[in-house]
Amino acid sequence: METNEKELSTQESLQLIQSMINKTKNVVADDSFYFLLWGWLVFSCCLVQFYLKVYLEFPQHYYVWWLMPVGGIVSGIYGARQAKKIHVKSFVDESLDYLWIALGLSFIVLVTVNILSGRAWDTAFTYYIVLYAIGTFITGKLLRFKPLVIGGLSNFVIAIVSIKFRYEYQLLLGALAILTSYIIPGHLLRIRYLKQKH
Amino acid sequence: MFKELDPILHSQLRLAVMSLLISVKEAEFTFIREQTNATAGNLSVQVQKLKDAGYIDVAKQFKDNYPQTTCKITPKGIEAFEAYVKALQQYLQVGKG
Repeated sequence: METNEKELSTQESLQLIQSMINKTKNVVADDSFYFLLWGWLVFSCCLVQFYLKVYLEFPQHYYVWWLMPVGGIVSGIYGARQAKKIHVKSFVDESLDYLWIALGLSFIVLVTVNILSGRAWDTAFTYYIVLYAIGTFITGKLLRFKPLVIGGLSNFVIAIVSIKFRYEYQLLLGALAILTSYIIPGHLLRIRYLKQKH
Repeated sequence: MFKELDPILHSQLRLAVMSLLISVKEAEFTFIREQTNATAGNLSVQVQKLKDAGYIDVAKQFKDNYPQTTCKITPKGIEAFEAYVKALQQYLQVGKG
């Protein structure tokens, strides 16, 4: 596209518009890192806490969750580094940013409510799983990525089922929920991103 | 009567820039240059023309000590782009008839 004064025909104009719009179709950032980071982190915490509580009867079994702020710091550093590399921002990227900020805040609020009220732990995981469901379902729809949509839908069901179990077994359901909504779709999303890139 | 095609948009590179910006929130100069294969000099001139027409916003800032230019389409730009596409369609319909 060296010259800007070339006379365009109607057809050429429409073709040009179409080809440029097509180029922006796949400009979605690689979000799989976050799903894999949080997926494996939460999954491990659920299983370790279950082991500490049920098998070792360790009183401070919930200490494992101090890894969550560490995840927050790693996410923040990764996000800041990525921002330097990205040269274009789509509306989908922006919507996803706001969605996950709102969900992140919701997690903090829920944890605070649980700590302050002291009696909400029976249903804690039910609500966390509903948040995983909302986040992954909407993300899947916006990215047009079925595994995330299916993972999100499965978490709505797991959330209902979880109400029938005691806290320690809800930990296992939490691990299952995160496996279906974050870990498996996260790995598949990574594969899709790498394929699109090459 | 034919609608006059907007001369600001009826140019290869400017139309390419507007078509890229219509479907994203914002894009850096580097991205636009890569996608259009234009030279930096030519692209700068055309971006300035679009800015002067009020079709795009151009923000210049520093990112890690490097100057960075970000472009974003304005509501006036969206309107002009839509009017341009409509006019093209009109031409095509007449051509068919």
